[in-house]
Amino acid sequence: MLSSIFSTLFSMKFLITIVRLATPIVFAAIGTFIAAQSGIGNIAIESIMTFAALAGVLGSYLSGSPWIGVLTGMAIGVVTVMLIAFFSMKLGANAFLIMIALNTFADSVAIFVMFLMTGEKGTTASLTTPILGSWDIPIIKDIPFIGEVFSGQLTLTYICWLIVILLFIFIYKTPTGMRLRACGLNPDAARTAGINVERLQVLSLVLSGIFAALGGVYLSLNYLKIYSRGMVSGQGWMGVSANGIAAGNYWILILSAIIFAVFRAVSIIFSSNSALPTDLVNAIPYIAVFVILTAVSIINYYRVKRGKVEEQ
Amino acid sequence: MSETILKLDNVTKVYPNGTVANRDINMEFEKGEIHSIVGENGAGKSTLMKVIFGIERPSSGTVTYKGKETNFSSSMDAIKAGIGMVHQHFMLIPSFSVVDNIILGDEPKNGIFIDKKEAARRCQELSDKYDFELDVNAKVSTLSVAKRQKVEILKTLYRNAELIILDEPTSVLTPQETDKLFDQLRFFKEQGHTILFISHKLEEVKKISDKISVIRNGVSKGTYLNEELTMQQLTNLIIGRDLDSDMDAYKTHEDFNNEKALEVRDLYMERNGKPVLDHMSFAVKKGEILGVAGVEGNGQQELVKCITGLEETAYTGDIIIEGSRVNDLKIKGRRNLGMAYIPEDRMGDGIAGELPISDNLISTYYDRDDINGKVFMNNKAIRDTAENLVKTFAVKTKTIDASVNSLSGGNIQKVVVAREYNTNSGFMIAEQPTHGIDIGSEEFVHHKLIEMRNAGAGILLVSANLTEVMALSDRIIVMFDGQIAGYFRDAKSVNESELGMYMLGAKHQTPEEIGGALND
Repeated sequence: MLSSIFSTLFSMKFLITIVRLATPIVFAAIGTFIAAQSGIGNIAIESIMTFAALAGVLGSYLSGSPWIGVLTGMAIGVVTVMLIAFFSMKLGANAFLIMIALNTFADSVAIFVMFLMTGEKGTTASLTTPILGSWDIPIIKDIPFIGEVFSGQLTLTYICWLIVILLFIFIYKTPTGMRLRACGLNPDAARTAGINVERLQVLSLVLSGIFAALGGVYLSLNYLKIYSRGMVSGQGWMGVSANGIAAGNYWILILSAIIFAVFRAVSIIFSSNSALPTDLVNAIPYIAVFVILTAVSIINYYRVKRGKVEEQ
Repeated sequence: MSETILKLDNVTKVYPNGTVANRDINMEFEKGEIHSIVGENGAGKSTLMKVIFGIERPSSGTVTYKGKETNFSSSMDAIKAGIGMVHQHFMLIPSFSVVDNIILGDEPKNGIFIDKKEAARRCQELSDKYDFELDVNAKVSTLSVAKRQKVEILKTLYRNAELIILDEPTSVLTPQETDKLFDQLRFFKEQGHTILFISHKLEEVKKISDKISVIRNGVSKGTYLNEELTMQQLTNLIIGRDLDSDMDAYKTHEDFNNEKALEVRDLYMERNGKPVLDHMSFAVKKGEILGVAGVEGNGQQELVKCITGLEETAYTGDIIIEGSRVNDLKIKGRRNLGMAYIPEDRMGDGIAGELPISDNLISTYYDRDDINGKVFMNNKAIRDTAENLVKTFAVKTKTIDASVNSLSGGNIQKVVVAREYNTNSGFMIAEQPTHGIDIGSEEFVHHKLIEMRNAGAGILLVSANLTEVMALSDRIIVMFDGQIAGYFRDAKSVNESELGMYMLGAKHQTPEEIGGALND
């Protein structure tokens, strides 16, 4: 049994699994990151993914096109963040309370809507939903090893990595990106430089909602072909955690998201191969989140104490 | 020929809560002059600047800039029109480079990207032109305060500001840095820039200004040519009467039997292997003010931390407050013995900004029997105490329920002093008690310290302001490099230049002479 686990761990299949599992976490991570850069802690990522995952399936089912489904999910993501922006910025409510509320009822709302549409409370399997496929990259697909990992992945995975690169350029190389970072680092300074801080924060929230939504529709329209209850299961929170670990460093953010994906992959392999209790094995990625966050805090504590970095 | 660049006509600003910050202000600023605006904290200077810079809209009246009535809806409009402002609290992003801070909001572009090369070139060119000696690629967090201020000024120049507003620019600078800044301001003037200089350091205002405008209680008290005003006239305009500079007149001389409020014996502390407090011994007697003079950074802060109990690291020697050795006591224990403390960092250590004035007025003795019932706080007693203190200390506020943050600096300091005064302690540490507050409030704080002294309290006055130390103290010690470099039995017998010699380490007394600090 152990040997079968080890052979899986070092197989091509394992690498491919990691790439597949990384996509939603990376989406969640960049969604948290872009909001944080403008000074907004978006902890509603988990709920936005849930709403978008279901909306994506319904949009695809009703229109017959998976791309319309993706757009529907994105629209729901934007609507959700706009609600957050409206309540917190316009009406002065506490943004965190709104987001906690969203996270609390996201699953139930999704189940309720699903029941209205399908009469079932578990999955949308009864709906025939057109879904997105995978993409074989010409030439690269014929290269051994590289072709197997980099070609034939799911469509939204490619879009994800394209966004990762474009977002980096946007944040660090364009005027708008620089202004957006300024809003997060010192809103008063940004304001006195003539920057409309609130407008940029809304922009970053919208992007945040879109990225989180893409993470959600990836799960229901690309990775699986149904929405099933609880399918986001903490992947949004992993993105939020990755943002905490990154402390403003973009590539550490991406790396952290991938590391969480590795632990998810490990947990999947163990659950199908080992005699360990399933609940324990399923908990591996979450334990990893806990351990990594704790380690990062301890390291930061000592770095600040030894005067290596300023306290944040 | 002079031409008017900015004109204020009957500018009135009433805040929604009814506070009248400015009332019918008329002022005129000419191109190429250095024009100071002076007034006490809370007189309405800041509000007026906000109106000019487009952060606030006037309730009535007009602002005319370059012949056109302005109708700024935000500071962006003011910047576009050619007005720049250097804020008292810097508006910089420490983790950004100098270049990025300067270009933020008006970035040179290359396609959709920021043209970093062009940006750096332009910033370097500006820095060179005005002789700022800045490394434009450095991170702002690595720069000294004076250099950060230069970055702020460059920000305004980068946007081609013709009128530059400087809000209390010298409050963070050393005297040498201030001189340098003034040279630069004169250079800007030659280049045709108009400088609007806000300060409550009157010596500096006299030194740099062409014209001086005075605001008192939100009302303009006129604009004067610098040379037609004496210092005394200026003071009179600002506070509405002459200033008492002779504190001695208020001192009474009762005998407290040489009782000691504080004794420090052989205090020694190291940091990074270097002594920061080097075997200091002195005493503060009841009914006297012992002044501690010295250039900042010669151990004064550490001394205060040791005495108050804020310093957690190990030191040796004895600290005796009101006859009890307190080395092992924490702050609260020392306060219970009769220690009061006016901290240097008013906003950080002195107050809890969000809390109401009333709570801030009792926060260091909240557990005293008269305001604390067995289970609940005695709210009526707290309110009575606070109302009383606000009245006796002339704190400018409508209600004791306002958050203390909403007050001006001078009034916040009055709250801190009032609270410590009301502890009725026998020993008080006053650390930079009038730092950054206006002359009216300063005078008030001085009077209260003298009053406490007359009532028998021993006061340790730590101040970087020599005039203050000399005006208030009965005896003076000078600190240099963690040691007592000089001791003066009679504060009246020493002059500023003599003290200066000890402060800079040019002179050092013998141990026998210094011994008087403890034994006299």
